[in-house]
Amino acid sequence: MSQISRRQAVALLGALGFGAAAAACAGPGGSTAPGGASGPAAPSTGAVTGKVSFAHWRGEDKAVFDELIKRFAAKHDGVEIAQDISTSNDYNAQALQKLRGGSIGDAFATFRGSQFKNFTEAGIYTELKDSKAVGNYQKGLLSAGRNGDSQLGLPYQVVFPMPMANVDLFDKAGAEIAPKNWDAFLGMCEKLASAGVIPISWPGGDVGNGGQLFNCMIANNAPVDDMCAQIEQGKLKCTDDWFLKMLGQYKDLAPFVQPNATGTAVEPAQNLFSQGKAAMLATGSYHIAAVRGLGAKFPIDLVFPNTTSDGNGKYEGAYNATFILGVNSASKNQAAAAAWIDFLSEPENAGYYANQTAQHVSVDKVEYTNPDLKRLSPWLQKKTALAARFQFNNLDVRNAVEASATAVISGTSPEQAAAAAQKIVDERL
Amino acid sequence: MSIHPGTAAKRKAPGSNAPANPAKVRRRSPTRVNPALYLFPLPAVAVVAFFLVMPTLQAFQYAITDWNGFSAAFNYVGVDNFVRAFTKDSLFTNALTNNLKFVLLVVIAQTVFSLVLALLLTKNSRGSILLRALFFFPTILSSVSVAFIWKFIYDPNFGLANSVLRTVGVDGGAYLGNDAQALYWVAVTQVWFHSGQMMVVYIAGLQAIPRELYEAAEMDGANKWQQFKSITWPFVAPATSIVVAYTTVQSFKAFDLILGIAGNPPKAALDILSTRIYSTFANSEFGYAAAQSIIFMAMIALVTWLQRRLLRLTPKGD
Repeated sequence: MSQISRRQAVALLGALGFGAAAAACAGPGGSTAPGGASGPAAPSTGAVTGKVSFAHWRGEDKAVFDELIKRFAAKHDGVEIAQDISTSNDYNAQALQKLRGGSIGDAFATFRGSQFKNFTEAGIYTELKDSKAVGNYQKGLLSAGRNGDSQLGLPYQVVFPMPMANVDLFDKAGAEIAPKNWDAFLGMCEKLASAGVIPISWPGGDVGNGGQLFNCMIANNAPVDDMCAQIEQGKLKCTDDWFLKMLGQYKDLAPFVQPNATGTAVEPAQNLFSQGKAAMLATGSYHIAAVRGLGAKFPIDLVFPNTTSDGNGKYEGAYNATFILGVNSASKNQAAAAAWIDFLSEPENAGYYANQTAQHVSVDKVEYTNPDLKRLSPWLQKKTALAARFQFNNLDVRNAVEASATAVISGTSPEQAAAAAQKIVDERL
Repeated sequence: MSIHPGTAAKRKAPGSNAPANPAKVRRRSPTRVNPALYLFPLPAVAVVAFFLVMPTLQAFQYAITDWNGFSAAFNYVGVDNFVRAFTKDSLFTNALTNNLKFVLLVVIAQTVFSLVLALLLTKNSRGSILLRALFFFPTILSSVSVAFIWKFIYDPNFGLANSVLRTVGVDGGAYLGNDAQALYWVAVTQVWFHSGQMMVVYIAGLQAIPRELYEAAEMDGANKWQQFKSITWPFVAPATSIVVAYTTVQSFKAFDLILGIAGNPPKAALDILSTRIYSTFANSEFGYAAAQSIIFMAMIALVTWLQRRLLRLTPKGD
């Protein structure tokens, strides 16, 4: 074996170090962004076979998807689907980076709002507007997955981010479950409180779940439907009268939420509701399965805090279309991934998913057999506002604006809370 | 067999006192070694290069761009990100203030608490060994487990703290839900979590003190405080230096504990630099988050250096 001098060795290590430094100085982003100026293309076609990675964050749905995967595999020889499940926080932070390489997430889900926007800008989506799946959805519920003329994603779930109600407790207290205006809503809370229960269990210590009530509170207060987008753009302000009025209404709610609500995490809030200590849980229908899992046996309905004084609000509730399904443009097995999305979008399979997970779906002609879904199905026909908080693309702005409501509940004046939120918005403009 | 030129150059000509070639003798000859020896450090060098040097250099580069982390397009913005952090971002300055307050609280409380524990439990009796194990126990838990345990303790409705208080007729507070107090409660958790570890450092220092010194001091009539001041403290001062430096870095980086206990994103009252950086990354502002990371790194280096300069607890000389 030939020998090298110490100098040569040092030179070699130096060259390696220089190479590392030079590699580090490559431009950020590089040129690996999939997609391109020509816009998204439809998923490639071919045999439905091989391995498909399905990336999502709903670990609680794993068993249901396992069963659907089994049924899908029975229809297609040689196809294999693996679920790549992250927690929702991790998914929010890392999914895009993971999906860009195409090694995971041939088919994937995204949250509505900033995540969908980021994925769209990164060119991760293929075009699904001509897919077989699109025809199975209720047309009015597809907008959350649209970008211009393109249908990039298919919003699979329909959830109602409105307080869930323990119907038995309402009946016992003689409280109205469908209050027509703000005074009626407060009157309903009074009756529940007089009956010895906490009217509203609100997870104020959990930024994400605590923020869902905002969708209801802002729906009929704001002068426009894209109010949150306009706040972020500086066209509307948190210090505007309509926003201050809404914060004032949050202040009205303070006596009716559980003591120390701003320190309550979501699990204890769910417990208060499922144990019958609280009449409402101010998160949303997406928690039905969790509440049932905690042993709640009572009938559950939804209550909309209608913030109008005369009951003539534009909206009767709030909904969100989320868990947006897409096919990865960097995937090497787009044909099988697209077939999987098509399969999930068939009414029979979407119905299985819905009934097993207690989540409504945006697929048309689905038969709901789950008693909770059946009871809440009329809400699918009501005039509900698409959840406004997901219009925010900047998460700092969203958190700051929603934190103004939490601050009011904990005793800060609406004016002070609004000014603090607006300061953050102004800094981000 | 070949003769090594270096060896030949060192030889003198027979019968002569002059060197064979003075220039060659002065030049240090390269030592030739088996190249296989240089392969041994290569894995370590590669790991350091790829996981430390490259990311650090990249962070410096990203910090002067407006890169969003995903697109191929970006602009170089110079020091704008650094200026923005200190002048136009109250969330960052709030996190910085919280972090400094948290570090100060934890460093003082943890240093004092772990020293007191060590003083109380230095004896090798069965009871003190059991207590040492008990106090050390939290250290072996994962920070996420600790966060969840304390999140439960602090829960205002079902939590242990309020349940105990209710038994004596006291209405507990909102703990983490009270913006004015939240950071203090997390500091309590951090101190509980790491004091056992620091206690062990102090116990090691205390056990190195010769017993004879205390015996002599007692014979001279020194009371406990005088013994502590003149014997114990000089011996444990170097350990204090280590404890303070370690605790400082640990509390600057209490990311997992804060995120576990306060959720993601934490509210403003609990936002510290590491969680703010994480939120900025999640908000698709990679360039700005990289600049914040560099400020964070500089901050830790500066505070640690200042501590070393100010404390000067390591005895000089022998």
